[in-house]
Amino acid sequence: MTETSGETQLQRAGRWLALLPSLLAATVLFALMVMTFFDVILRSVANDPIESATELTRLFMAIMVFSALPVISWRGEHIVVDLLDPLFSAPLARIRDAIINLLSGALLMWPAFRVWALAERALNYGDVTEYLNIPQFYIAYFIALMTFLTSLALMARGLAYLFAPHLVHKAQSPSADSN
Amino acid sequence: MLTALIGFAAVLVLVFLRMPIAIAMALVGVVGYAYETSSRAAISMAGRLIIDTSQDYGLSVVPLFILMGLFVNKGGLSQELYRASHAFLGHFRGGLAMATIVACGGFSAICGSSLATAATMSKVAMPQMRKYNYSDELSTASIAAGGTLGILIPPSVILVIYGLLTETSIGKLFIAGILPGILGILFYLFAVRLTVARKPESGPAGERVAWPDRLDALKDVWFVIALFVLVIGGLYGLFNFPPLNLTFSPTEAAGMGAAGAFLIALLRGSLSVSSVKEVLIETAHTTASLFAVLIGAWIFSNFINLAGLPTALLELVTQWSVSPLAVIFMILLVYVILGCVFESLSMLLLTVPIFFPLVTSLGFDPVWFGIIVVVVTEISLITPPVGLNVFVLKGVLGDVSTGTIFRGTIPFWLADIVRLLILVLLPGLVLFLPNLMH
Repeated sequence: MTETSGETQLQRAGRWLALLPSLLAATVLFALMVMTFFDVILRSVANDPIESATELTRLFMAIMVFSALPVISWRGEHIVVDLLDPLFSAPLARIRDAIINLLSGALLMWPAFRVWALAERALNYGDVTEYLNIPQFYIAYFIALMTFLTSLALMARGLAYLFAPHLVHKAQSPSADSN
Repeated sequence: MLTALIGFAAVLVLVFLRMPIAIAMALVGVVGYAYETSSRAAISMAGRLIIDTSQDYGLSVVPLFILMGLFVNKGGLSQELYRASHAFLGHFRGGLAMATIVACGGFSAICGSSLATAATMSKVAMPQMRKYNYSDELSTASIAAGGTLGILIPPSVILVIYGLLTETSIGKLFIAGILPGILGILFYLFAVRLTVARKPESGPAGERVAWPDRLDALKDVWFVIALFVLVIGGLYGLFNFPPLNLTFSPTEAAGMGAAGAFLIALLRGSLSVSSVKEVLIETAHTTASLFAVLIGAWIFSNFINLAGLPTALLELVTQWSVSPLAVIFMILLVYVILGCVFESLSMLLLTVPIFFPLVTSLGFDPVWFGIIVVVVTEISLITPPVGLNVFVLKGVLGDVSTGTIFRGTIPFWLADIVRLLILVLLPGLVLFLPNLMH
């Protein structure tokens, strides 16, 4: 592996891999904001709200949250309690983080399979949304797929702690914007 | 009840090992649920929650309010707020710290996050206070404490999550936060006066600003006022008259707020394509981490309810005939202790499923309890050892020790405790405004 400008090819690949879902999340979020704005304006001015706004909102939310989940899992942006950090020495912390991430990822496989099964069920039942007649199984499969990717991302992070610590982004401080 | 307590302890152990809180709560929730029913039922419950939570219409309010806060940040409105409050208060002893508190309060009215409020105001207020030789203790503490108002004065992300978790009206919770928030400002102002009365050198008076200049500074804050009136007024039903006929749902209020903040930032020329992209991605990431925790908390609370912890607590209280008010004080004590250890959102998500059924069955108002919980959470943000606001300031400033900041926050912390007692003993202060709503 050749190192150029402090960034390995693997890191660069990871950044590109994260870009697509991040852009998707950003786009649907912006669409959500614009749609809500026009829904309210149209309702007030023309008494003609966007009828499918509710189901589009639900769709956009799911796309946004689940495209972001694998990315934040790989980057270690989940909300954690870091109170006991001073008690762990650096090598010990590395082993701890490796185990915890591998375990978390492996455990997530179980619900991921369940969500996949629920998506299959939605496909068989042929459920569609109320206004736009979008088949429910699309979004269900998307959620299942992204849950799998989240699980893989966590396991990859765990492995990276063990074998390639330079790949692991420094964990950020817990949730910056909710508190 | 024993299973629930074991589950609670298991979550604590896992999160202290740095397992993401979302996964720790989900794991213990699923295992506990499986123990009470069957593993098939447990995993089905988890799978359904994963699919349904992300598509919950009510939850869309969360990313939109976060987005609004970030656009407001980019718009640079904090400078105008500080300039205006500085013009009116700067010539008092401790006046700059007082101006900081008021500006924080104003910023809280358009931002739903305490950490963002503290981080933003520190960049604006700190250089000014340094210029006038304010002590680091007073200046940092006034920002850290003033920043806590972010989650109480609407909009508030924490109140949204409490409302979603307990099915309490978000509109009423927001309106209920206004008076306690103003009370908070007044008490913090008093804490500043107290500090400079003890140590006059910590906050020397600045120059007096002439009235025409004061009025001039005031006219720059109209963006903030307009945004607040749009969002909170819309929720309250202020625009519900012909020809507008508008009352906002929380999602609509948040969407209008985000769009409004976006337009303001755009008008002021403070947005570029890349900064918009940055804001959107940050919002999406924060939302995803919040949703993960929410899903985990719901799984966990399904288990806690199934294991009968809230009912057991209620029986215990009835059996020992503890007075309802004593129960509240015990809960507050638990919060103050947990607040020393936990980040505020996790504390809320872990405890509300347990305490909320107990509190409401004792006849307390859910809106009132929400405000009380948020005020306790505010206190935890400036309580050592993990007062997050203090660490935000430390992160932004770098050259001040956390010990200094914590020492400075003592008068503010005491003011908070007094305010909490008042709100507990006089629920009318909280419930007056929401009860006027239809």
